[in-house]
Amino acid sequence: MIEEVIEKLAILLQGRIPSRIDIERFDNEIEHELGEMLNQFIDFMQEIQEIIVPLSQGELQDIKLQSKNFLASPFKELHSRLLHLTWQATQVANGDYKQRVDFMGDFSEAFNSMIISLDHNEKLLKKKIDELEKALSHITKLEGILPICSNCKRIRLEGAAPENQDSWIQIESYISKRTEAQFSHGICPECMKKLYPELMK
Amino acid sequence: MFKEERNYNKFTWRDLGDIERGRPNLGLTVPVLAYRLLQYTLRDVLITESGVDKANDIFIKAGRLAGVQFCENLLNRELGFNEFIAQLQQVLKEQVIGILRIEKADMENMRFTLVVAEDLDCSGLPFTDEVVCQYDEGFIAGIFEAYTGKPFSVREIDCWASGERVCRFVAREVKVDK
Repeated sequence: MIEEVIEKLAILLQGRIPSRIDIERFDNEIEHELGEMLNQFIDFMQEIQEIIVPLSQGELQDIKLQSKNFLASPFKELHSRLLHLTWQATQVANGDYKQRVDFMGDFSEAFNSMIISLDHNEKLLKKKIDELEKALSHITKLEGILPICSNCKRIRLEGAAPENQDSWIQIESYISKRTEAQFSHGICPECMKKLYPELMK
Repeated sequence: MFKEERNYNKFTWRDLGDIERGRPNLGLTVPVLAYRLLQYTLRDVLITESGVDKANDIFIKAGRLAGVQFCENLLNRELGFNEFIAQLQQVLKEQVIGILRIEKADMENMRFTLVVAEDLDCSGLPFTDEVVCQYDEGFIAGIFEAYTGKPFSVREIDCWASGERVCRFVAREVKVDK
């Protein structure tokens, strides 16, 4: 009996799962009890080994451990925390930055800092986009080919008849109507000389 | 309040009194053992006087009453679900009641799996192969009911006393036939 128990424990210590002991053949009560306890230990270790692989691979949904398997308690807790983190990460991915991880040491700190940074950066980005959109709304572009009188510089309205004088408007009016630019009038020195030569003397 | 015969509940948040004024030196909190002494002795007497089912029922109903008042007085019910949960997690931590964690949330069917770690009622209890947090079941149901305005059923599926290291609850909306 003892040799068999030692052999099973040696296998367990090597990280492998031995077969259970056949306890029916033991008449001695103590041997029977020892065999039963060893079998339970083997079952618990087997259960842990069966769940730790999927757990390490992130397969969280179908893991269920026997409630009496106290050896697996830390794994049960880890499983629960990973499920919760999965839920929280999903919420964060959906833009919910109110989530916080509590009492998970360095991980809490890192996760919470990440959420705060994401929140801060998104707010900053939204502010920038808002500013750019506002700036954009003030810009009106003039595109295309404008027909212009080569002498008086009037511009012909789009689609208007060229032979009709009303079709041609001052360049200032044209631009003012289509953009937010305004004009202030003055006279350049060359025109001044032409128009008011007496003032230039 | 406590001396009159009646067949309806009339507990409100005000019945808790002005604790800050009443305990200027000892403060707002008490050790967990004081809370458990009250709960477990009361429960023990209720079981002997009224039976297990009745005792559990009373605890669920009392928890529900507490949950509704807790939600109405300490939580902002206008928040969206996720924000509400974040707030609930924060308030339960501040009130040193437990560490709330949502494991699953099925918004379509209004069914949630949530965990309370370091639960005030049962964390550290010896293994007795049973779930014992009936008060929490009612408490969580009361919070969800006050928040959603719909009836909720909450069942504890794992507990320290059943060998887990957290309390796990399934909360779901009770569909009422119209």
